[in-house]
Amino acid sequence: MPLPLSYSLRNVRARPTRSAMTAGVIALVVIACTLFLGLISSLKRTLVTSGDPRNLVVMRKGSDNDGASQISLAAYQAIRYFDGIARDEHDRPLVSPELVVQPFFRTRAGGRENVLVRGVEPVALQVHDTVRIVAGRMFAPSAHEVVVGRGVAGRYAGAELGNTVEFGRGQWRVVGVFDAGGSSFESEVWVDARELGNDAKRVYPYSGIRLRTASAADRQRLEDRIDNDPKYALDAQPETEYYARQSESANSLYVLVVGIAILAGVGAGFGASNTMYAAVQARTAEIGTLRALGFSRGAILAAFQIEALALAGLGFGLGAAASYGLSALLAAAVGGIAFGASTFTTNVVALRVGAADLIGALVLAVVIGVCGGVGPAWRAAHLRPIEALRKA
Amino acid sequence: MKYAGLVLANLGRNKLRTVLTGGAIMLAVVLVCLLLTMPAGLDALLDALASNTRISVHNKAGIVYPMPHAFTRKVRQLDGVAAAVSTTWFGGAYEEAGRVTFPNFAVEVEHIRAVYPDYPIAPEQLADFERYRDAALVGRQTMQKYRWRIGERITLRSTVWPVDLDFRIVGEIADEHAPYLWFNREYLDQALRATGRPGLGITGMIWARASDPNRVNAIMREIDDMSRNSEAETACETEKSFFSNFFGSLQGLVTIILIVTGLVTLCIVFIAANTASMAVRERSGELAVLKAIGFGRRVIFGMLLAETAVLSVVAGVTGVLVAVGLTRALRVFAGWSPALGPLGNFLVTPTVIVDGLFVSLVVGMLAGVVPSAGAARKSVVQALHEVF
Amino acid sequence: MSSVSIGVPSTPLIAIRGVSRRYVRGPDDIHALERVSLSIPAGHFVAFMGPSGSGKSTLLNLVSGIDRPDEGHVVVAGQVLNELSEDELARWRARHVGLIFQFFNLIPVLSARDNVALPLLLTHLDKRERVRRAETALRVVGLDHRLEHYPRTLSGGEQQRVAIARAIVTDPDLIVADEPTGDLDARNAEAILALLRQLRHDFGKTVVMVTHDPRALRFVDDVFHLDKGVLLEGDDAERAHAAIMLAAGHPPAGTGTGR
Repeated sequence: MPLPLSYSLRNVRARPTRSAMTAGVIALVVIACTLFLGLISSLKRTLVTSGDPRNLVVMRKGSDNDGASQISLAAYQAIRYFDGIARDEHDRPLVSPELVVQPFFRTRAGGRENVLVRGVEPVALQVHDTVRIVAGRMFAPSAHEVVVGRGVAGRYAGAELGNTVEFGRGQWRVVGVFDAGGSSFESEVWVDARELGNDAKRVYPYSGIRLRTASAADRQRLEDRIDNDPKYALDAQPETEYYARQSESANSLYVLVVGIAILAGVGAGFGASNTMYAAVQARTAEIGTLRALGFSRGAILAAFQIEALALAGLGFGLGAAASYGLSALLAAAVGGIAFGASTFTTNVVALRVGAADLIGALVLAVVIGVCGGVGPAWRAAHLRPIEALRKA
Repeated sequence: MKYAGLVLANLGRNKLRTVLTGGAIMLAVVLVCLLLTMPAGLDALLDALASNTRISVHNKAGIVYPMPHAFTRKVRQLDGVAAAVSTTWFGGAYEEAGRVTFPNFAVEVEHIRAVYPDYPIAPEQLADFERYRDAALVGRQTMQKYRWRIGERITLRSTVWPVDLDFRIVGEIADEHAPYLWFNREYLDQALRATGRPGLGITGMIWARASDPNRVNAIMREIDDMSRNSEAETACETEKSFFSNFFGSLQGLVTIILIVTGLVTLCIVFIAANTASMAVRERSGELAVLKAIGFGRRVIFGMLLAETAVLSVVAGVTGVLVAVGLTRALRVFAGWSPALGPLGNFLVTPTVIVDGLFVSLVVGMLAGVVPSAGAARKSVVQALHEVF
Repeated sequence: MSSVSIGVPSTPLIAIRGVSRRYVRGPDDIHALERVSLSIPAGHFVAFMGPSGSGKSTLLNLVSGIDRPDEGHVVVAGQVLNELSEDELARWRARHVGLIFQFFNLIPVLSARDNVALPLLLTHLDKRERVRRAETALRVVGLDHRLEHYPRTLSGGEQQRVAIARAIVTDPDLIVADEPTGDLDARNAEAILALLRQLRHDFGKTVVMVTHDPRALRFVDDVFHLDKGVLLEGDDAERAHAAIMLAAGHPPAGTGTGR
């Protein structure tokens, strides 16, 4: 027969300073883990949302990203009329040839970053249909104009609507800002492919092709056809797969988070243990009384374990609230967190603490509560009533 | 130190608590050290590899924009330039398809040494490097990561050039911070021609060494002037500046790392303070007796503080040692990675050790001040005044 | 064994036969009890008295089932306690014994009412019934105006009365009190002893008490004297009894002693 929940909870409240400090330690651990988890999931989310499952990415065989690849005009013209490619209402194939270059941009803060500039044809907006101009308009061809993603606008010198931004060998007027559903496209600058090719003095007009397949069945067939083409050494993969591979670089960060979680979690567990052992020691007579009254060992064990879990829960609550506030503060102060990916470009990620991250931290808090409390709870439950009641 | 015995005896009074508290502080210090090694790795990289006489020359538009290879000769001929070498990013992936896990470059083998005289490379290895077309020199960090030996053959599949190349490792850049792989640009040129393409007429970067560090700024201006209005206008900067800018994008991550370090430090405060206050509360009767016997308040405060201090220091030293061992293990698995760059080096520099010890001692002690002062029943300000 | 009889049936509720208890404390081997035998009739108010270390508390613990003897057996209300396991003893205690301690031993984080209701959690009664019984018990001890108070806001005497309410709330046959007046002043001590007497008188409870307090003599039916783990009988008992009476300020001559 268990002891009432209020017994455990009220005991947490009865020693406010001690409880606060123990919960505080757990809260700090929760904040640390949540921030890192939030960082990784924000990064992954950015990359995951970038891929459209209906699209294929075509590059030169052996390249790992479309900035490193080269596609000839002939290859593009051949692929354009393959079977299985979706067409728009004017029966034009939805094939977007693109030229990717990573020039330097000056940041507002005075630093220097590589930004992904994508030279596109107008069809790009149909193939990447999550990209939507939300301010201004699309650039006009041969007019030295660009449109910038939301993550770019405001981060780099001159990168806002109506202003002029400097990269490559000249100045470019920003005529529009686009939104892309939080994906990595928002960290890009889009420009006319021909203009970019001239500016960057590229031999090959394009670096990659993105195309929309007509159906899921067509997708596999197209992929195989392009991969096995005897004339051009090309590689095709679903756009979702392409971005999934980019996000693998974030996996090394998971190792870091797990390491922090383990070290910090064990430390916090020790702290919780300490507090609970002291509580058991201080309440020896009380425990003896409960046992004398007839409460079983299991009931005492459960009561103390719950007390430890209550501390952990308190810590989690404080930590979760604080990490929301902290990430909002960071967003306001630092803006997006920039990640230099292996693709030599800067991915601007908005740090957001999501539900999954909190669940991860909750699991950690629970484990701390259980492991930290089990030792003291065991000791409390196995106190012999006579020893416990021995008069001072 | 006649009270040392008493202090130690008190720590042994509740061994479980001492162990738990010490353990918690130790883990926090390990974490602090590990986290601090990350930005420290960046600083260490700059100190170890960057020289104050080396200049980086790259296309003003960006490092992915090429320059004509012929420009290297012009730079080399400038007054005050002791040597210049062109290096071109090969982007070779080892084993894992399409993933570059360490930087690799095609270089002019006859000039590389003159530009990097500070890099420790055995002369006979350099000789082999110049002699054999498919030779490669590899930085120790990458050698250790993949456990390569001198003489081993490896294949790199380029992600930017349409070729795969086989190399023979003939030498090592004997610095732990160095991740590079260098090979002969002639080899790449030859391979490109074999596929029917034009050879390697461009270069990605030119590195020059000034004979006099005071002339660096002047030389950089001259190089930029030379290239102005040409096909590839250059922007020169010192090597340190180049690396700083290159890794500038890691600043956001570093900020978060430092925040988390601060949080963990705060944990130590809470843990130490909690334990000290628990100990004090339980011994209030004893302390009253001591005071009655005649032990002054200052002595009591000092003794209690000493307990916290001893515990913190021992835990801190242990933590630092564990961190050193742990980072050594981590280095085998991590090292240069695309996401973290040099942050993943986990190098424990002397600064990191000092920071770790400082955190444990000072923070631990400060945490013990309030409970100890309370026990000795004096205001905290007064207590600090009298002891320090 | 003669007793000051007050017309109460003398079927023994508690029978202790040849009980010994030894334990090890540090380097010493302590013989707390040596072959003690006695009987306590149902409905009696009985005291175990003796100097410090006489074994009276140990004997009390054996009677209430908190401890087990090394030799002999303890039978309470027909149940041989030796035969029960730890968990069974716990359940038996919950149903048959009410416990009162010197330092009250109330749970600080529970109100008076919740403290009294605590033993009822071990039964199958629903919440409303538990509250009702707790309030009834508190009324019996005269504290129904202190239901919501926490122990720290109650005086010593009030806390002990709450403890007594807790001891009777499950309506046990046996009430066991270990130095119930040890931590109280004269006025409160007398009140508590009177309350215990009332439990025996009005509710027919058997009350077994360990005490130093000479005042207790006025309230109890029987007294058992112990010294160094041995039950005193005959002249030894008389002498011990007389000594206590003297300490209480009573004349030493001719009063009943338990045997």
